[in-house]
Amino acid sequence: MTTASHRRPLHAGPIVIYALLLIASVVYLTPVLVQLVTGLKSFQEVSLSRMWQLPKSLSFESFAKAWSGAYQGLTGLSVNFMNSVYLTVPATLISAALGSMNGYVLAKWKFRGANILFPMLLFGMFIPYQSILIPLVRVLQDMHLYGTRGGLIFVHIVYGIPITTLIFRNYYAAIPDELIEASKIDGAGILGIYALILFPLSLPGFVVVMIWQFTSIWNDFLFAVIITSKPSLQPITVALNNLAGSFSVEWNVQMAGALIAALPTLLVYIFLSRYFMSGLLAGSVKG
Amino acid sequence: MAKPSRFLRSLAFLALLLLTAFVLYGGFALLKNLGSSKILATLFALVWGIGSVALLYFVLNMGAERLPRRVRGVIIPLVFAGPALVLLFWFLVFPTLRTLWLSFFDDTSTHFVFLENFRFAFTDRIMLESFRNNLLWMVFGTIFCVGLGLVIAVLADRSRWEKVYKAIIFMPMAISFVGAGVIWKFVYSYKGEAPGLLEIGLLNAVVVALGGKAQAWLLLGGWNNFLLIAIMVWLQTGYAMVILSSAIKAVPSELLEAARIDGANELRIFFRVIIPVIEGTLVTVTTTIVIFSLKLFDIVRVMTGGNYGTNVIANEFYMEQFTYGQTGRASAIAIVLLVAIVPVMIYNLRRFAERRAFK
Repeated sequence: MTTASHRRPLHAGPIVIYALLLIASVVYLTPVLVQLVTGLKSFQEVSLSRMWQLPKSLSFESFAKAWSGAYQGLTGLSVNFMNSVYLTVPATLISAALGSMNGYVLAKWKFRGANILFPMLLFGMFIPYQSILIPLVRVLQDMHLYGTRGGLIFVHIVYGIPITTLIFRNYYAAIPDELIEASKIDGAGILGIYALILFPLSLPGFVVVMIWQFTSIWNDFLFAVIITSKPSLQPITVALNNLAGSFSVEWNVQMAGALIAALPTLLVYIFLSRYFMSGLLAGSVKG
Repeated sequence: MAKPSRFLRSLAFLALLLLTAFVLYGGFALLKNLGSSKILATLFALVWGIGSVALLYFVLNMGAERLPRRVRGVIIPLVFAGPALVLLFWFLVFPTLRTLWLSFFDDTSTHFVFLENFRFAFTDRIMLESFRNNLLWMVFGTIFCVGLGLVIAVLADRSRWEKVYKAIIFMPMAISFVGAGVIWKFVYSYKGEAPGLLEIGLLNAVVVALGGKAQAWLLLGGWNNFLLIAIMVWLQTGYAMVILSSAIKAVPSELLEAARIDGANELRIFFRVIIPVIEGTLVTVTTTIVIFSLKLFDIVRVMTGGNYGTNVIANEFYMEQFTYGQTGRASAIAIVLLVAIVPVMIYNLRRFAERRAFK
């Protein structure tokens, strides 16, 4: 039996339950399946056959076109895919490092600033970014970071502070205070305690935070579309939007492009879904 | 062992402080020039970035340790939270105030117009349409996300292969809104009317197969909003489901058994036992999705660009600022959006503050 073995099935009959679950699964899965099937078709097949027919022969032509093909001023997605990698990897790691430090201080040290910092973090988690966007652009221009990859990395690090800090704070709160008291008596300082006790226990926390940050930075569109205007620097979400906005691009290529863009996060989800879900729980506001 | 003199130690600390400042500045200069460079530069930036974060904390710690013992306990944690505090003030608090300030000025940000932009925000035809649409997103998007998430969580809890169902419903969460937009454009695509033309869009294919007539779905006034909301529901049901599912699993079995012994049927148990126990979680999931639907931007931007009567506040903000260059109006819209979200946010935050452990 499954994890739910202690639950009795509904008296209404398990058939109804399974039927409903099956319908929901099919409905939720269909768009992705159609995308995959379409992406594997050639152009002639997409325009001629009905969409649910499987491709007659597997054609990776659409993927090749989406990856490297050029469409009226649009370069292939390969450049933008790599842009996303160069953006996401440093931003994820640096914001995780910052979040770990902040979360540690918030969870384990009492200090005056905490009652300013904490509400600000929560505010930062829910604030509509529209309300800071116009001044942000000006500040970045003053810093000569506007329109650069570094600027986008910087922005993701800064606006990643609330969520990474809060996840780490919740994570470290579960580590017993006695451990810390003991090493305080041994004369360890604030940094020493972090390095000797908290950091070695942090791996699961880092995994959760990094998955969370990786997914949200990779999938971000708002900051990317506003901060990077040069096509050669744009991450994949912006390029995909441009690709989809151009009417001359065939459906099979668009679908292949969407799949390429989603691949890294889908892989993370498939192989690390447990951590993905704990990130969701840790980052969520739960009563 | 002779201790190095106080003077020498101070000198060493000063040197380290200078070095840190230099490293941070170097990292900043590097950030500016990242545009042209590739893998090596990224790696270098990464090491530099994490290195300077570590160095910064190390030096701050060293400096703080030198303070008298009495102040140390107060100062040290503040020093460690300092960088975050500075960044949040600089990039969250001040910009918000500056947006408020800008909302009282015209498009050049030089002439004070007081509430003129707000008058625009509350009377313009497109803005009123956006308010209506955001209301639709908020009400229907939230009801369907939470409702479906709850039903699926409860049903899956009582079935075999629970993990499989949940994984499928949850999967869209890994896809970006832009990616989802592209997929759903295909779902809603319409080729037009011509004899012998086969519809390739998923929805039209289904409708035609059922004997209906193909439609240009995204142009269908009124209905098109709901078709866009469906995309959000597809993406976000998994979120509600995962969180509600973990709350449902925490309902004590004894409570359920006791209700069953009393002869309550399952529907009654659901409404009288499960719902009251998970009420707190239900409320927070709902408020989170409400906030989310108010901020919604990507789906509308990608699918319709706000045309055909589907505009929303966040997209109108984008249009005013980045298409029409109306900074004052855009700022006012942003402030309206913020003010709409703040009450929900405060309600939500109260609960977060009570939250303790990590799961």
